[in-house]
Amino acid sequence: MLMFEQTASRVSTQLSDGGEALTIRIDGNFDFNLHSEFQRAYRDCNPAPKSYSVDLSDTRYLDSAALGMLLLLRDHSLEGQDDGGQRHTVELVNANDHVAKVLAVSNFDKIFTIR
Amino acid sequence: MVSSPFNILVIEPGDADARELSSLLDSCAPLDARGESGPESRAMDVAVRVVGSVPAALAAFDCIRPHLLVFGPHAGAAPEPRSVHQLRARAGMEPVPVLAVLDEHALPADGVGAGCDDVLRRPYNRHLVRLKLVALRRYCQFNRNLIAQCNRMRRSQSDLLKEQAGAQEIFRNMGRESCLEQTDAIRYHLSPRAVLNGDVLAAAWAPGGKLMLLLGDFTGHGLAAAVGAVPLTSIFYSMVPKGFTLSQIARELNLKLHLVLPRSMFCCAVLLELDPRKQHLRVLNAGMPSACLCRAGGGIQMLESRHLPLGVVRWLNLEEAVQYVPLEPGDWLYLWSDGIHEARGPSGELFGEERLLATIRNAFPAARFERILAEISRFSVGQQDDLSLVELSLDQITAETVEIGEPLPDPPGTGHFGDWSFGVTLAAEDLRQMDPVPLMHRVLAQFPESGRLRDTLSIVLGELFNNAIEHGLLQLDSSLKRSEHGFGEYYRRLESGRRQLQDGWIRIRLSSCRAGGDCGLLVSVSDSGPGLPARTGAANAYSGRGLALLQSICRRVEWQPGASEVRALLSWEQEENSPWEREGAPAKV
Repeated sequence: MLMFEQTASRVSTQLSDGGEALTIRIDGNFDFNLHSEFQRAYRDCNPAPKSYSVDLSDTRYLDSAALGMLLLLRDHSLEGQDDGGQRHTVELVNANDHVAKVLAVSNFDKIFTIR
Repeated sequence: MVSSPFNILVIEPGDADARELSSLLDSCAPLDARGESGPESRAMDVAVRVVGSVPAALAAFDCIRPHLLVFGPHAGAAPEPRSVHQLRARAGMEPVPVLAVLDEHALPADGVGAGCDDVLRRPYNRHLVRLKLVALRRYCQFNRNLIAQCNRMRRSQSDLLKEQAGAQEIFRNMGRESCLEQTDAIRYHLSPRAVLNGDVLAAAWAPGGKLMLLLGDFTGHGLAAAVGAVPLTSIFYSMVPKGFTLSQIARELNLKLHLVLPRSMFCCAVLLELDPRKQHLRVLNAGMPSACLCRAGGGIQMLESRHLPLGVVRWLNLEEAVQYVPLEPGDWLYLWSDGIHEARGPSGELFGEERLLATIRNAFPAARFERILAEISRFSVGQQDDLSLVELSLDQITAETVEIGEPLPDPPGTGHFGDWSFGVTLAAEDLRQMDPVPLMHRVLAQFPESGRLRDTLSIVLGELFNNAIEHGLLQLDSSLKRSEHGFGEYYRRLESGRRQLQDGWIRIRLSSCRAGGDCGLLVSVSDSGPGLPARTGAANAYSGRGLALLQSICRRVEWQPGASEVRALLSWEQEENSPWEREGAPAKV
């Protein structure tokens, strides 16, 4: 019989007053179950924000599917670079030890700002 | 719109009661669910069929396919639990509700106790009966939808398993190209579903007796993770035997994956090149858990990930990422995918790297491989099925190279071609990236009897070319390689110096001579540098192996301190003078 697993994870967003900076918070496990929710979080912003920040302070765990989602966000931010080459950045902040380790092993600091 | 009717099977021996019940049920049609939308809300006709007994009902069951069973007043007063059960069983997967007609004063428990689901009261209230039928119809419809959905899922699940079995077979066959089974020096554990978990293991001998091995882990699982393995392994198996370097192979794999994989997919990988004759290891770890080098002396060195996984960015930046490790006799190397770290105990606890390293430290080398697997299996109570583990006994690889390096067959129609020569000059721009060995092999392969020289030529060309770059053009100091730290530093300087080359050239010339005292293949490599340095001091564990190696496999090596050319003469008769047999023989300079 098919079982639907409920995940307690949540994606929430906050747009800065000027609409220039988008913060995406992930509560709980950051994995494939959040796929569409995570994409929705940044896709529908119009005009596109100049900077993106993924707040991982309440992220317990992060798997390789989540790394893939971060790559999609990075691509999305690069597509938005239409105003004279000004860099749109994606930063990953407040990772716990486990999450920081996963990011470090993957060397994601080479393509994201990690704080 | 009226769809197929709601079939009701009534069991009632009494004619009058049967007629009354039948016309009552008929009068409830059409059944429609007001206020609902979708297919369930469609009006539905009612088709009533009356039989006189349970055996008659069983006989008629399959042709009527009832949605509802009703025990009439006579039958319903005391339905036999066994009959109800038999009728239900006939319906199979699909639940068919059973009603019993009871008189006003009878206890509902009589009917329900016999296994019926509900009762109809007599005298009948047409309105209430209709409501009940509408509710039951909705219930039946819901069940049918659920069963249909379940069947669809079962079919697609079985299709999926068939596809996966097909994919697994393809990957098993592709694995036959590997040299994993040819040597006892490599032991590995892969789950039978490894490729569907995204894990890939490939290994092949490169010319010159080097071993190349790749352990990769694609994101995701299932077929999407598996398809990436096709370009990965086909590029690996096609480039390794042609003598391409680790960096070139890594760049090619990365570029291909970058082009073909969806943006959210990538491949973590450890790619290593083991040169048993020079006793060193090059490792590129791109996103995999640290590889573990267990030293003969008991120390453990972790070779951590230093690069983004393959496929993420278009160009690899290998300068800092490739690690060079000098080896000692008795070293062992362990590679694993994150399935090991993420094996979970019954309480959800992770196995983790620390437990793994403790296991490695506490086991005797020869028993380590089994111990690791046993510990994980014990920890996860046998539930872990996606771990990949590779063990390389670095010593044994040295010993077994005798058996490899099968000579290429001569091209057809061979005769003695006589004397020939050709040369190539590489300028700074080419030297930043290019490795001439595969190119020279391709040219040499056109000449008869050249196949048997493939391994020797790889070694000689590799040595002379590296010598020209390292000491001729970049003037690197070999004495740096005396310490383990300096060894890594030396190769970092080499990579960055090479990347920044602005001028200079290296010329390679192969000449064949079929007769006379110099009969053989003369390999000459010269460069634009100020001249090779005089060898300083005695060779140590980490450097100075190059020259000794050349002297052991060439008939003659000519080289002058201060000059910029080295010439090596290879004998055509390589079978008798196999480099491996002559190792340790006195140098003949």
